[in-house]
Amino acid sequence: MNQRVRVTSPQTRLALRRRSDATGRLSRLAGRPPVGRSAIDLDDAERALRRQRRLAVRTAAALLFALAALLTAAFVTPGRLGWAVLFFAPYPILLALAAVHVRRAERIEAEYLEDH
Amino acid sequence: MLGLAAISLVLAASVVIGVWGVRAARSTPDFLVASRSIVPGWNALAIAGEYVSAASVLGLAGLLVKNGVGAMWYAVGFTAGYVLVAALAAGPMRRSGAYTVPDFAEYRLGSPRIRRMCGLVVLVIMLLYLLPQFKAAGVVLELVSGIPYWIGVVGAGLVVSSTIAVGGMRSATYVQAFHYLVKLAFIAGPAVFLIALAGPETRDAALNLSADPDWSRPLLDLDGSGHPILATVSVLVATTLGAMGLPHVVMRFHTVAGARAARRVAVSVIVLLSLFYLWPVVYGLLGRIATPTPEETDVVPLLVPGAIVPGTVGAILTALVAAGAFAAFLSTSSGLLLALAGGLSHDLFGGSLSRLRLGVVVGTALAVALSLPAADVDINVLVGWAFAVAASTFCPLLTLGIWWRGLTAPGATAGLLVGAGTSTGAALASVVLDLEPGVLSVLLAQPALWTVPLAFLVMIAASRPGSVPEWANEAVLRLHVPGRYSSGDSGAIPRARRENRVDAPDETG
Repeated sequence: MNQRVRVTSPQTRLALRRRSDATGRLSRLAGRPPVGRSAIDLDDAERALRRQRRLAVRTAAALLFALAALLTAAFVTPGRLGWAVLFFAPYPILLALAAVHVRRAERIEAEYLEDH
Repeated sequence: MLGLAAISLVLAASVVIGVWGVRAARSTPDFLVASRSIVPGWNALAIAGEYVSAASVLGLAGLLVKNGVGAMWYAVGFTAGYVLVAALAAGPMRRSGAYTVPDFAEYRLGSPRIRRMCGLVVLVIMLLYLLPQFKAAGVVLELVSGIPYWIGVVGAGLVVSSTIAVGGMRSATYVQAFHYLVKLAFIAGPAVFLIALAGPETRDAALNLSADPDWSRPLLDLDGSGHPILATVSVLVATTLGAMGLPHVVMRFHTVAGARAARRVAVSVIVLLSLFYLWPVVYGLLGRIATPTPEETDVVPLLVPGAIVPGTVGAILTALVAAGAFAAFLSTSSGLLLALAGGLSHDLFGGSLSRLRLGVVVGTALAVALSLPAADVDINVLVGWAFAVAASTFCPLLTLGIWWRGLTAPGATAGLLVGAGTSTGAALASVVLDLEPGVLSVLLAQPALWTVPLAFLVMIAASRPGSVPEWANEAVLRLHVPGRYSSGDSGAIPRARRENRVDAPDETG
């Protein structure tokens, strides 16, 4: 019954928690493994990383190729169409690249989750 | 006067939305974590709102008139960057649980020193990016109201820093989403009117690009250097890779529910940017006919309406464009100032809220002071430098940090030093030396083509395999594994748990 309770406003409690949360986060990160509380299967994670990395490299290469192709197309297309290529063609191509990448990345994640 | 009225309206609406956003958040007990549940659509609008800056609203059309249609490669690069964001950074960054790039560097490399270094790089990028925004505010206000440039810049600084201080931080998402819509409407709307009102002669002349083969060549020849392909490729490298390393953009991906949502937001941003970048072309093409030799290239979109439809209609259209340009200034500069203040207080000095406010004031003062002498430099050139520095520093740091386990703190430090040093040094040298146009002048004015590979190489070479800490393996693997244990996939925090989780980005980062 004689326990002392610290009475603070909800705002103060939030602020205090935020502070402890921030320092907790930092000490968790500095020099210690950021993991520990829940182990992950390293072999499976390794496979997921490799698949995602291959996909990322492929998308980056496709982007490089697409930009080079656009540059060439804009340069060699005669007359009126040259600038039309530059004004309108890039955006659907970029959107398609990103959308395809996201779909594949999500599929890799879904397959990973199925195994767990 | 009409222009000033339109600008005031946009400003007033922003403040109202900001105040409403704060109040809406206050009414729920968990306003601090609500940010994790921001709907991806809103978040994409906010990112686009922050990203479409004065460089896109004003600078692109001006550069089109001055340098030819090749200027649109800037827009292509600005958009292409988000393909890389979606493919390389968004998901894993979200899972790292880090709010800022310095946060991520510390998570991945386990060194508080590298956090401070990244904080410094953030400052450089943000300042370079802020300069042209303030320049834009100055020239717009000068044009629509006759206020001298320096008063406009100082006034804009006061307005932006006070809006942030009033409490725009928490509701930044809604304000910036609103700004995207304002920009799109006030650029696209007048453009449609101008096309309709221009008359067949002007329209035909605007579309008859073959009349000026140099101008219509779809390559970016900077100041007649004679090496257009080199210049175009270097601009593309800087803008595409730079978009991935922009600290304020990276920050935004932490306000969505998870890694999946973060990636999808990046795709939505591409859609929004594509919609926007159709319109600067109209002002560029009409501007070549209506205002062929503007005194100040960056105000072309404001001059075109008056030149094509004189009188009241032209004045109204000019006022709308001016309001759109001011919205661009407002949203980009407040996003940048928050990231800059965050860098100053959170990453460099260990922050409190009052320090954050001080950071905003100091950042504004610096940007205003620096933009006074920068009145003659084109907006896109300045923005290009910010992108080049981001591409030469944070792009390699994030790419290698996320995908390569071998990156170590000494390697990252060396790469950041070399990347930041060469890219800022080259940009400075191109201003100071005033070289003859040629290969060297292009490589100094647009340094990304060589500074980015250099930074990558240094980071890889200086990361010695022996010194990779044991936990680095798991720190990297965790970024790519979906599931409950990686913070980025927890989704919106469930109501019952919200009480215990307090980690809003605008408070800690």
